[in-house]
Amino acid sequence: MAESASILEARSVRKTYAFGSVGVPVLLGASLAVREGEWLAVLGSSGSGKSTLLHLLGGLDRPDRDGGEIWFAGERLELAGGRRVDAYRNSSIGFVFQFYHLLPELTVLENAVLPGLVGGIGPTARARAKAATATAHEILDSFGLSHRLRHRPAQLSGGERQRVAIARALVNRPRVLLADEPTGNLDSATGSGILDLLADRHRAGLTMVMVTHDHAVAARATRMVHLNAGVVEFGAKSTL
Amino acid sequence: MYAALLSNRYLTSRLIPFIAIGAVGLCVALVVTVVSVMSGFLDMLKDSGRRIVGDVIVSTGLGGLPYYEELLADLRALPVVQGATPLIDTIGLLRMPYPHGPTKEVAQVQVWAIDPASLVKVTDFAEDLYWRPASGDAANALHPDDPRRSLDPEIVRDGETLTQSATGRSGIALGMHVSIGNARQADGSYLPRYGWFMPGHDVTLTVVPVSLQGRISEPREQIFPVVNEVQTGVYEVDRNRVFIPLSDGQRLLRLDEAPLYDLSAAPDENGNYPVIGRTPARVTKLLVRGTPGVHANDLRAEVERVYDAFTARIKKDGARTARAPEFVSVLTWEQQLRDLITPVEKEREMMRVLFSLIYIVCAGLILSIFWAIVVEKVRDIGILRSVGASRLGVMWIFLRYGLVIGLAGSAVGIALAWIIVRNINAIHQAIGSDAPSIMWMGAFALAAVSFVGLVRAALRRRILPMLLWLLATFVLGLVGALLFFHKGTLIWDPSVYYFSVIPDQVDWTTAWTTALGGVLFSVIGAAIPAAKAADIDPVEALHYG
Ligand SMILES: Nc1ncnc2c1ncn2[C@@H]1O[C@H](COP(=O)(O)OP(=O)(O)OP(=O)(O)O)[C@@H](O)[C@H]1O
Ligand SMILES: [Mg+2]
Repeated sequence: MAESASILEARSVRKTYAFGSVGVPVLLGASLAVREGEWLAVLGSSGSGKSTLLHLLGGLDRPDRDGGEIWFAGERLELAGGRRVDAYRNSSIGFVFQFYHLLPELTVLENAVLPGLVGGIGPTARARAKAATATAHEILDSFGLSHRLRHRPAQLSGGERQRVAIARALVNRPRVLLADEPTGNLDSATGSGILDLLADRHRAGLTMVMVTHDHAVAARATRMVHLNAGVVEFGAKSTL
Repeated sequence: MYAALLSNRYLTSRLIPFIAIGAVGLCVALVVTVVSVMSGFLDMLKDSGRRIVGDVIVSTGLGGLPYYEELLADLRALPVVQGATPLIDTIGLLRMPYPHGPTKEVAQVQVWAIDPASLVKVTDFAEDLYWRPASGDAANALHPDDPRRSLDPEIVRDGETLTQSATGRSGIALGMHVSIGNARQADGSYLPRYGWFMPGHDVTLTVVPVSLQGRISEPREQIFPVVNEVQTGVYEVDRNRVFIPLSDGQRLLRLDEAPLYDLSAAPDENGNYPVIGRTPARVTKLLVRGTPGVHANDLRAEVERVYDAFTARIKKDGARTARAPEFVSVLTWEQQLRDLITPVEKEREMMRVLFSLIYIVCAGLILSIFWAIVVEKVRDIGILRSVGASRLGVMWIFLRYGLVIGLAGSAVGIALAWIIVRNINAIHQAIGSDAPSIMWMGAFALAAVSFVGLVRAALRRRILPMLLWLLATFVLGLVGALLFFHKGTLIWDPSVYYFSVIPDQVDWTTAWTTALGGVLFSVIGAAIPAAKAADIDPVEALHYG
């Protein structure tokens, strides 16, 4: 595979959770470079800190003080202000979670459009919302959900919900998709359907980071790393 | 944009916010209704004060004010004075023509001996005369028993001059509620009660003259024909006051012009002392009306100045047989009514403050409802943060939600207050009469329907619907029973509340400030849960939510 520049990078990242007065270290200097256009699988046992790392990469959480650096396209994320990180989450990346995390009061279409409604004011906001609505229609259509646009998440199956969640993650055309066990809650047939769909997007040029503890799932990625004892261990796909 | 979408969706997808809107609405409606009625009451009080006594009142003691015609001429010469009128104000007993038979009822009255010609320029006396013949369509619209359908057209002029034109006798005009003869109808009109339509009947007025030394003389009486009746709208006045011509009042009270005897000389053979002059006629009050635009306080200062010049002139003039009293009270109508106005104003402000406390209840209600919603929506908040919503954006969802509830609640409250206040007399009337049978029958019918619902819910073994139907059955049954046993009670007793009608104008300043308060407190109530929402850590929210 051609060596390309890394777009998202964690450098010696440390993260400690506080349990009352005791600190529980989870990441102890984890480093990871995500290359433009790759599909990276992050493997590791339960509790190893995979989700934590993903949250740090996605700007949902920050590393410890002096706990390393997070780089996105030449910018130090852990130093950026709150508004900048909000904007980063909104337009540069997309999150997909194991439990779909759709808003129950919104329809399928509204859930998918949601990131397009965040940020901006006045005419720009309206233009953004309009563009996002068009994109959401297009994506949901390609996911075979065009007949369920007005349904509520509760009326959908797990696989359908996850497709809506993916549509939402893609609606603002992010550069990186961060997926946390996207098939973890689905049976294998439905799960592989979801992976097919992600593979399509990857072929279309999307950079993806996918957390999983399922080797079969990880096998579909272009590269995989292990998270172990708070650090990232690199392993070639062939060694597994 | 997502804030609008979500706050609207949170609003419409549950019942609780509508309860909050109802609560805010009730608070606002309560404050606006109470304060509007009290403000209206104050306005009526002030307005009627002016209509009934003019702008400035000059009062002397029982001895009265001599040479008042001169003073009146001085006052009328002022450009700020529209009219000035003399008056004697005393108490008396009025022997009524009823009941039939030898014993008659006697009413205690406040007697105003007036000069009608000048009084009409100072007060609304002429407009307040109630009995005016109606003709044509206006007459046909009246109740068949309404005396106005067949009145002698002279009755208005008789009232305005206090003279019975048919006989030339001095007449008396009674306040509308002095006699038992006028039964007030729901529309504000009057029908004769017990067949006693007073105009035309004779009444006997007894008054007690008081000498300059403050000694009471023999009571004196005079028979007057009732020429008309007066409705000022102020119940206290309409129940007590009677009007007689000034000259009759002066004669009855020995305040008329009289020979002055030299009591130090020896009486003649008939026992009369020699006459050394004449004492001038006197009155006890002057009422002054300013020209439009003149403030009562300015007018009062002018009147005081004129009065001082007047007393000084009388004092210097050696030919005078009487002196003007040095101490008179010159008050504006507002000062005259101060004792009445101040407590009502205080009461109104207290009501405002007390009722404003319910805002805190509203804010607390919204706070607890929103707190519960925020707790329920922790995961949603995490999701929103994960797609880039800012902390302020999340906060705004709930603030906006509170704002909408405040605005909607205030709008409901103002509408409700408007409906209540505009129809308050009709509502009062309805409460004052027995409930129509359709109402209690309806309530019992609905209670029966609820009972059916209760039985059905019990058969389906659902506890919540059972409880709700049970409550509905109980409440509707109670309402039906209350309506069934309800016998009209008069809440607004005119003898207590001064006026014969309840003020029915919304005080819009209060309405808008109250609405603003409702909105403000709703937002304050929402702010605390909103701030909590903003502080939610997205990672934890997604993890545990
Ligand atoms: N908000 C938090 N507060 C305290 N501890 C946390 C928090 N989030 C995660 N942890 C702890 O950090 C460790 C790593 O959690 P993380 O969710 O990153 O693991 P994971 O690798 O994603 O596991 P899984 O495969 O089960 O999802 C766990 O021991 C977890 O208990
Ligand atoms: Mg995890």
